[in-house]
Amino acid sequence: MWRLECARLGKRFGERWIFRGLELALETGTVLIVRGANGTGKTTLLRLIAGLLAPTEGTVVLRMNGKAVADRRRYLGWCAADGALYRELTGYEHLRWWAQVRGLPAEPDLLLAHLERFELGSRAHERVRAYSAGMRQRLRLAIATYGTPPVLLLDEADAGLDVAGLNLLRRTIDEQATCGIVCFATNRAELIGWGNLALELGA
Amino acid sequence: MVAIWRKDLVQEWRLRQGIVASLLMGVATVVGVGFAALGQTLSAGLQAGLFWVALLFGLFPALARGFIVEEETGTADLLRVGARPVSVFWGKWLFHATLYLLLSAVLVPLYALLVAPLKGNLLSWLLLWLGGGFCLTSVLTLCGALTAQAATRGALLAGLSFPLLLPLVLILIAGTRQALEGSFPAEPLQGIFGYALALSAGGAWVFERVWQE
Repeated sequence: MWRLECARLGKRFGERWIFRGLELALETGTVLIVRGANGTGKTTLLRLIAGLLAPTEGTVVLRMNGKAVADRRRYLGWCAADGALYRELTGYEHLRWWAQVRGLPAEPDLLLAHLERFELGSRAHERVRAYSAGMRQRLRLAIATYGTPPVLLLDEADAGLDVAGLNLLRRTIDEQATCGIVCFATNRAELIGWGNLALELGA
Repeated sequence: MVAIWRKDLVQEWRLRQGIVASLLMGVATVVGVGFAALGQTLSAGLQAGLFWVALLFGLFPALARGFIVEEETGTADLLRVGARPVSVFWGKWLFHATLYLLLSAVLVPLYALLVAPLKGNLLSWLLLWLGGGFCLTSVLTLCGALTAQAATRGALLAGLSFPLLLPLVLILIAGTRQALEGSFPAEPLQGIFGYALALSAGGAWVFERVWQE
């Protein structure tokens, strides 16, 4: 059982507080939809959870069966719409690299099967610079979900996806919810039904 | 660590940005020095100084930019979420060390051909080259990482590298002068390997603390 806790979490850039005193406790099976207008801190919250930003105040702790894990970044899948990829690497090379740095199985069959799941199998050996925006987003999703991390952070992961891509994203979230936690920040009001918990920032 | 090294190597092979810039700088420096020294007999001290200046000039464009490129293209987040800081540091170090070997393979023979032959004990040269390479690579990797997230990274990189590189280059020059004069540079080598030890122990530790926001 995984549990993600944010206690009295706050972030300030310069003199401006993005949010303060945020309390969250998410457990396996939770799909949190984070909503809010631009600039209310959706991306900031996900980056704080990912450990990509240090909180100004408060803490973020990931627990497994009640015990805090030391380096929570090792247990996260991260997919952001503006997340950069290495333009000179192929989709396959990206996933192999990710598997190797994370210490996950990196057999070619496994990697190709995972890319195929995201409908990238036929373009797996093309460089990322030749991918469309939607294909890049699928690759980010493929990287984020490889090895089924217990916490999946999706920062506007729906951006650039067509209808088939959105269905794929929905399926991915539903699968993740059976074994972990999902935090999905989105601007689309119609996607709020994808989650079982909602957080409106800036309200 | 090896995965990060291989990723950087594949990218460099396909883009050839860092190595080409470094080779151009290094070759231009050695050729320039070679022309300036044409027909003159250089003292051992001057030869040693020019040797390390040429290598440093060649190394700087490629090595200092390793982390800066990751920050500028936005891929640093992928590295932060995916890999352990210690793996990132040593993976980048290994890639930079590879560039050092490649650059040396071109610049050292060119220097011997155009400026002055590398006289003296082969073992001394080998130890100086290896120890010097380890230290230069570590300093530039660490300084690149420390400054990558700053807005004024260019100036900061120069300012931060200077106090770390200056004593190292002075020791390397002293050692190389002794090697050219035919004696074994025991004391400079002790200094270089002490410096290397401190950097390998402290570099990854410092890096882990700054590889955050």
